[in-house]
Amino acid sequence: MILLQSPSRFLLQTLLNRVQNLEKGVELDYQWVEFDDVRYHVQVSMKYPQFLLLSVSLPTPAQEAVFSGGLPFGAIEAIKVSYGVLVQILDPPKDGFNLTLKLNLSKLPPDEEYKHALLVKIASVREVVLGAPLRVVLKHLASRTVAPDINRPFALVHRPKESFFLVPQAEKVTIVFPMRFKDSIDTVLATSFLQEFVEARRTAGLNNAPPCLWSPSPPLELRGTAGEALSANAGFVTFVIFPRHVEGKKLDRTVWSLSTFHAYVSYHVKCSEGFMHTRMRRRVESLIQALDRAKPDLEKSKKTVQSRSFKRLSLKEAHTNSNS
Amino acid sequence: MDSAASRPAVVIDNGTGYTKMGFAGNVEPCFIAPTVVAVNESFLNQNRSSTKGNWLAQHSAGVMADLDFFIGDEAIARSRNSSTYNLSYPIVHGQVDNWDAMERFWQQCIFNYLRCDPEDHYFLLTESPLTAPESREYTGEIMFETFNVPGLYIAVQPVLALAAGYTTSKCEMTGVVVDVGDGATHVVPVADGYVIGSSIKSIPIAGKDVTLFVQQLMRERGEHVPPEDSFEVARKVKEMYCYTCSDIVKEFNKHDKEPGKYIKHWRGIKPKTGAPYSCDVGYERFLGPEIFFNPEIYSSDFATPLPAVIDKCIQSAPIDTRRALYKNIVLSGGSTMFKDFNRRLQRDVKKIVDARVLASDSRLDGEVKSQPVEVNVVSHPIQRLVIQKLSMRNMGQAYAEQILSSRGCIDVKILLGIILRAVADRNDGRNGLSFPPPMCTSIHIWLLIFTQLSCAFIG
Repeated sequence: MILLQSPSRFLLQTLLNRVQNLEKGVELDYQWVEFDDVRYHVQVSMKYPQFLLLSVSLPTPAQEAVFSGGLPFGAIEAIKVSYGVLVQILDPPKDGFNLTLKLNLSKLPPDEEYKHALLVKIASVREVVLGAPLRVVLKHLASRTVAPDINRPFALVHRPKESFFLVPQAEKVTIVFPMRFKDSIDTVLATSFLQEFVEARRTAGLNNAPPCLWSPSPPLELRGTAGEALSANAGFVTFVIFPRHVEGKKLDRTVWSLSTFHAYVSYHVKCSEGFMHTRMRRRVESLIQALDRAKPDLEKSKKTVQSRSFKRLSLKEAHTNSNS
Repeated sequence: MDSAASRPAVVIDNGTGYTKMGFAGNVEPCFIAPTVVAVNESFLNQNRSSTKGNWLAQHSAGVMADLDFFIGDEAIARSRNSSTYNLSYPIVHGQVDNWDAMERFWQQCIFNYLRCDPEDHYFLLTESPLTAPESREYTGEIMFETFNVPGLYIAVQPVLALAAGYTTSKCEMTGVVVDVGDGATHVVPVADGYVIGSSIKSIPIAGKDVTLFVQQLMRERGEHVPPEDSFEVARKVKEMYCYTCSDIVKEFNKHDKEPGKYIKHWRGIKPKTGAPYSCDVGYERFLGPEIFFNPEIYSSDFATPLPAVIDKCIQSAPIDTRRALYKNIVLSGGSTMFKDFNRRLQRDVKKIVDARVLASDSRLDGEVKSQPVEVNVVSHPIQRLVIQKLSMRNMGQAYAEQILSSRGCIDVKILLGIILRAVADRNDGRNGLSFPPPMCTSIHIWLLIFTQLSCAFIG
């Protein structure tokens, strides 16, 4: 529950449901939106229950990011490699979407475990499509080469009108995230969260983790990129990925974690805000209790309106809370 | 702000038993999960002062425990498998009871189930008609302060049930909503979209009581159901076989004449020994739902039948709304889905009304002829659909489906759009709508404390 999972829960649930009663014709038409403005649309028609149309729309890229034909570079190949015969890419995609896939569910393998793994993979379509360019670069890193025709900082879209930057080299890939937040409280929390994050990297147990840096101003790697891409109210986070981080099975996880880094930070900012509210409520309760005790007997019987809506703590707990 | 209006609103309907969540514009909710949070409390109860030296490690462990929680079906599974997790039910009788758990529940709903960024969507939450303004304020506070939602509307559940039956040809926002859930039954009159608060009636008989009554009947007849399983069996029997009859005496006769046709069999497996057993399901098929119409067969404390309560409720409403209310009695909630429940209710209410009209006519000696009162009990098409299509595990779903049903939803969305656009930008204008204003948590509470402090000192 601490990390965001890569398969979309609802898409997976829909697919599993569909596969379980494949022969039964149902009309399905679902639309939903995920974080970073990734939209999904699932359609099944009564006539052809074995086909499922899955349309995905990606966040609008900023100027500097590379999109060819509405998709990030390498996405089509990635889809073909991951899904094989199961999926047919419809061209042009449905109106308002970047990609429409036609899934033929009758072509799923009979082996239950493999089938499930494949469905999870389809539910992670976002990772496959949005992470495709990152995957290409990291694959080259694993074989210690640099992808051809990439030399300048390379922009990849991860949020609407926002991108992060890759600087690929033969021995390492540097990844820079400009962090932007809408709310001022979020900005402050995220800034301190990121500084702690860098600090945590230095603890003994995490020696093998990718080195990470935070700076309030754009790092040197980004020299030469457009001005507006370099304004970020919560600073810049830099990761350095070495070949050992992308060996074998680690590749998928690295791609997912990197492409959703911003969502991860904002999720945890929200979590910590929630945590602080909990603490604030407890503190207020204990203070109200202290006030209640200070009141003369006459007023003691009269409960205040606010105190009624709070969960009361025992004296001892209140004491330990104020100490910590 | 514009970007949020272009995305579907998030709808979260927190019920006592189940939470239904999804996006506006879809026919069904995305997820239906039990409203329950499993919290790891093993760190919280440690005595911190005893091992002061290692407080940093303990502190970080405590923080991790803070994130270590699950909701919904996962929560139930976790608490079964290990003793480190404690279940807490944030909503009791339709009211939020534990705000900390509720905040965590929402957090998981938004980030791990719907996986959306709360800053990008408008939110539609629901509350029961009897919720206190303080709790509404609190909900708004959490939504705005923690999740930074751009706009929020907290709708009253019965009003949404009315809106679900709202079509372009029939713009009816006046009616009585009879909401029979698992834990509570409310009869709520709504006039032009506003709840008539003073006329709300509650009944202590709900879905759970039907289950208990079925259980009691089966036990008294001596069916061989293992005691530890009997409640579950009774619930299944209720959901699969119960129906509403038009007349008990006739129904008894029918059952006695043709037992083969009416008596059903229930087969199960004993949970402990794994041995199969079977039992008969007889009169409880129609006696179960009968407790709404003749409550005296179930409890001696409460003896007003549901039709009489509805009539009383409408009679206590303003006089100019009464005809319209009789015309549109809307059923909602899982326990109204018994077969022919609506017909029986309509007949009984009609009987009461006709008797009253007749009495007043005879008093007036036929000089003035009053127009007959039209009584209509409306059951939602989706309600019926659910009966046919799904087993009743999804009884709770009916409600959500009513809310999210396509038409209603689109309209609710438009409605939302209008309301939200008026109030969304909380910095600009707080129009005088009945809408929970965003609060400044700390400052608000601290001010209160300071006023109290000064009072205490002066006093």
